[in-house]
Amino acid sequence: MPVALRQPGWYRALATSLLGVAFCLGLTTLIRSLMGWDPLIEWSAIATVSMIGVPFFFLAGLGAFDYWFYWMSGRPTRAEDHSTHGAHSWRDYFKVNTDHKVIGVQYVCTTFIFMFIGGLMAMLIRAELAAPGSQFVDGQDYNSLFSVHASLLIFLFIVPVFAGLANYVLPLMIGAPDMAFPRLNALSFWLLPIAGTLMVSSFLMPGGAFASGWTAYAPLSTSQPLGQLCFTLGVQFAGASSIATALNFLVTIITMRAPGMSFWRMPLLVWANFATSLLVVIATPFIAASQFFVLLDRTLGFHFFDTAIGAGREGNVIMYQHVFWFYSHPAVYIMMLPGFGIVSEIVSVKSRKPIFGYRMMAFSLLAIVLLGFTVWAHHMFVSGMQDWIRVPMMVTTAIIAVPTGIKIFSWLATLWRGVLHLDTPMLFSLGFLTMFTLGGISGVMLAMVPFDIHVSDTYFIVAHIHYVLFGGSLFTIFAGVYYWFPKMTGRMYNEKLGKIHFWATFVFFNLTFGPMHVVGIQGMPRRVADYAAQYSELNLAISVASFMLGISTLVFLYNMVNSWRNGPKAEANPYKALTLEWQVSSPPPIFNFDNIPTVVGGPYEYGVPGAVHGIFDKPSPQPAAAVASSSHEPA
Amino acid sequence: MEAASLPTAPAAHEHHGPPEAHNSSTVDRQTLGMLLFIVSEIMVFGAFFTAYFFIRVVNGNPWPATNEELPLAIAGFNTLVLVSSSLTMHWALEAAKRNNRNAMKLGMVATLLLGATFLMVQINEYVHLGFAPYDSAQASVFYGLTGLHGAHVFIGLLLLLFAAIRVFRGHFTPAEHRGIEVPGIYWHFVDVMWIIVWTTVYVL
Amino acid sequence: MSSRDVTKADVVRMLVIGAVASAAGIAIGLSINWFPTAAATQAGPIDTFFDIMIFLSVPVFVLVTTIVLFAVIRFRVRPGEEDLDGPPVHGNTRIEIVWTAIPAIVLSLLCVYAATVLSDIDAAKADQLKITTYAQQFAWSYEYTGTDGKKFMTDQMFVPCRPTTAKQDEGAPCDGRQLSLDIKAVDVIHSFWIPEMRMKQDAVPGITTHTKINPNRIGTYPVVCAELCGVGHSAMRSTIHVVTPAQYTAWLKLNSKAKTG
Repeated sequence: MPVALRQPGWYRALATSLLGVAFCLGLTTLIRSLMGWDPLIEWSAIATVSMIGVPFFFLAGLGAFDYWFYWMSGRPTRAEDHSTHGAHSWRDYFKVNTDHKVIGVQYVCTTFIFMFIGGLMAMLIRAELAAPGSQFVDGQDYNSLFSVHASLLIFLFIVPVFAGLANYVLPLMIGAPDMAFPRLNALSFWLLPIAGTLMVSSFLMPGGAFASGWTAYAPLSTSQPLGQLCFTLGVQFAGASSIATALNFLVTIITMRAPGMSFWRMPLLVWANFATSLLVVIATPFIAASQFFVLLDRTLGFHFFDTAIGAGREGNVIMYQHVFWFYSHPAVYIMMLPGFGIVSEIVSVKSRKPIFGYRMMAFSLLAIVLLGFTVWAHHMFVSGMQDWIRVPMMVTTAIIAVPTGIKIFSWLATLWRGVLHLDTPMLFSLGFLTMFTLGGISGVMLAMVPFDIHVSDTYFIVAHIHYVLFGGSLFTIFAGVYYWFPKMTGRMYNEKLGKIHFWATFVFFNLTFGPMHVVGIQGMPRRVADYAAQYSELNLAISVASFMLGISTLVFLYNMVNSWRNGPKAEANPYKALTLEWQVSSPPPIFNFDNIPTVVGGPYEYGVPGAVHGIFDKPSPQPAAAVASSSHEPA
Repeated sequence: MEAASLPTAPAAHEHHGPPEAHNSSTVDRQTLGMLLFIVSEIMVFGAFFTAYFFIRVVNGNPWPATNEELPLAIAGFNTLVLVSSSLTMHWALEAAKRNNRNAMKLGMVATLLLGATFLMVQINEYVHLGFAPYDSAQASVFYGLTGLHGAHVFIGLLLLLFAAIRVFRGHFTPAEHRGIEVPGIYWHFVDVMWIIVWTTVYVL
Repeated sequence: MSSRDVTKADVVRMLVIGAVASAAGIAIGLSINWFPTAAATQAGPIDTFFDIMIFLSVPVFVLVTTIVLFAVIRFRVRPGEEDLDGPPVHGNTRIEIVWTAIPAIVLSLLCVYAATVLSDIDAAKADQLKITTYAQQFAWSYEYTGTDGKKFMTDQMFVPCRPTTAKQDEGAPCDGRQLSLDIKAVDVIHSFWIPEMRMKQDAVPGITTHTKINPNRIGTYPVVCAELCGVGHSAMRSTIHVVTPAQYTAWLKLNSKAKTG
């Protein structure tokens, strides 16, 4: 066999993928013959099984399972060979690599690719909505556009980009040489392009891309063409990636903190990812299950959501919504809490002040985690569920505004009397504070049942969603990418372009999504390709603003690519920050630290003369050269 | 390094390996990882139980559906089989701690055989039930919940198989036996979950 | 650090700016024509409730923005201050209690108010007009009981409403029978919504959902589907005609004779 096919990598992955297609074809046909189903060769069944099976063959070829296959064979463990650790050329970024810093960069780059694809769909949506009537897409295609737009941006961008940034920064921040389970970390990353490819390739499916929204309510979703399964199955891969990463973060944070770093000396980014990971581990299985039900109903004729089968045997349609939203509400906190952590880091460093109310900031994260599980039915006020559920859900939803408010006020108090460095990360953080407040206000409005009855499923919801996800999450993502850009790439981004990006984004974001509040209350429903003539002017204005918003992201893209290649070299600690990631070079050494640092104080002690967070000259036990921290166990 | 556009390892500071991470908890990493994974597994079952709750309780449908009987006795037998396998698993782990190699081997083999018996009985039950998942929502939930559990038994058996292979190759010591302990924790979860499934689906 | 001292004059200035901005914001918020024409008694409490929420929301937003802007203007790093740190303030228990308690109280009161509005709009009236609406891909149909006691189907809703003034034409205020609507879905989930009347309820396969509406304005209003139901979702619209009792009776008689059974 040629060498290329024996080494883990893309050639072998291609070969195993083809093997996988053949296997899935054979398996499907075998099962159909055993069950006596007609016809024997059924292409949509083969496609379904392949969408599930071929990714595993692909991953095996790429090398994601190599160590575990070796472990399964029962042979004695091999000593870790660290010579391939980290990235030595651009090629390493396209391989299975266990260095958390490499994985972090892989995540950020991959997720931004999906962000641009999803963003492009947003441009197409707004082009269609610029005027009433059909411009260039018909109903089904339009429904696909917003479905894929939302699914990509939620599952392939916001959720994983935070995981990627934390992947890079968190081990450094806690003084660890890597994550607890580096191989699992690598697998978590590679599940993501699989999920994204599945979703995007739905456009090639007969019947078109999935078109029942990112919410995929049954029974619409159980009676759709094959493209629907790209969502049903893509979500599973993205969910598995998310859960594996969360497990990794939790074990890393609990077991690998540097000596002296108690929980109360952890930076808030670590707290935020700890809280988020709890949410992911507990909630994500519910969306997995909801899609299992859809898959079983659609492909094997199960009746979870079938009410036509007859009295005494029928399924329950609203059950889908309960199971789905039990994940999808915590999901919005999964999409925001890491951003809260990022803002805490930036606001503290750029104000040269400790975070105001650090303990309450940590407790409020945990409060949001707990409360986040008690509010899901506020997405279902008009669903036809039992009336009595509405008021309790209204109350719990309103209560969540309290810990969130504590955070906003604490950040404001951190700014107060600080020495404010208003560079791009800080500008995006300040923009986040004001825009997320607006999103939170519309959220409190939506919590109130009588108002929600009128605006549910209208453009008011679309406005709220985008104020919290764009003005909230995306602003913090931009802030974090700019902030850690020098650490990750070893180069400084262009500050002037960064400011242009911020201001253009801020202005056009508000011009795009602000008017949607009005149009929604006025009576325009969501997920419509066409609308009544009275909404034309506002929709045209929104569309024009959205095109400008789209163009402004190109400024960001140019800045990132150009600075990465040609930017001025960055020093280790350009912001004179105290947290541990800034105490190593930019980019960090291949194994993060020569010796694990010792933490002797809090992470935000600016203004305290002589305050130190971590010290580096205490030697830790020498690692043995060959047999390092490997154990008998797979990681 | 050339004018690198991607962050690559600095030429200086070549190490033989990373520094040893500091242990900030007495809990062992692999065990903690398995426990947290089990939390997410419990939630998957929770979602299937939610479906069961809606189809049986909220809809008020008869359980089992008319003309769909559930073999309580066979499932009860299977419960005994699985509980026994947890006992043999525990025995194997205790043997590892006491360096009793023969007991370890016996325990692992017994656990595997009992687990395989459970699966065989369940598959046989499916074949002879007399109704299919597409006959009613109750049937869908029954097959869904027991099938989900069966899949987890299968995964557990695979993990135990790999552990057993290594037991037979003499890999474990009283000091280092996480390779039996961690899959064992998963197996106990599978057992406890079966008791809940059996009670909910067959008994109640 | 003297540039970081905050004087009483500063606080007063911020309060004044905040008050003016809030007043302006509230005025703008209340003057924007958010809602479509009110055509049911349910609209009044909901629209008023929204106005109250504007009243509460604007000062919150103004507070956050004012502090951000003040901080940016007053505390930005000046030349020579590049290595300066801010005062190491870690917290202030009193203020933290205040900004936890006040939102909690305001939100609780808002919930109580919302609950009363909810029971208000859900309240049943005597002498209901019971109609069943069927939602299917992609049309609404309505089942009435005719003057001959037999049911008939129609694709437009007519409801009677007794004018309360001399006016009887479009826009005339009226007192309508309560529309007690049973909603059924034939295929997938749809959602029945009359924006002018504010009330919305999903149509769910397998169950019958319900809503109550009290029309109070003569006119013709769109019925909109508000839950993605497939290709034709944006086109799934219907009409409700709120007419005088005489016009309603005439329409009912006409349709009862035409469509029996």
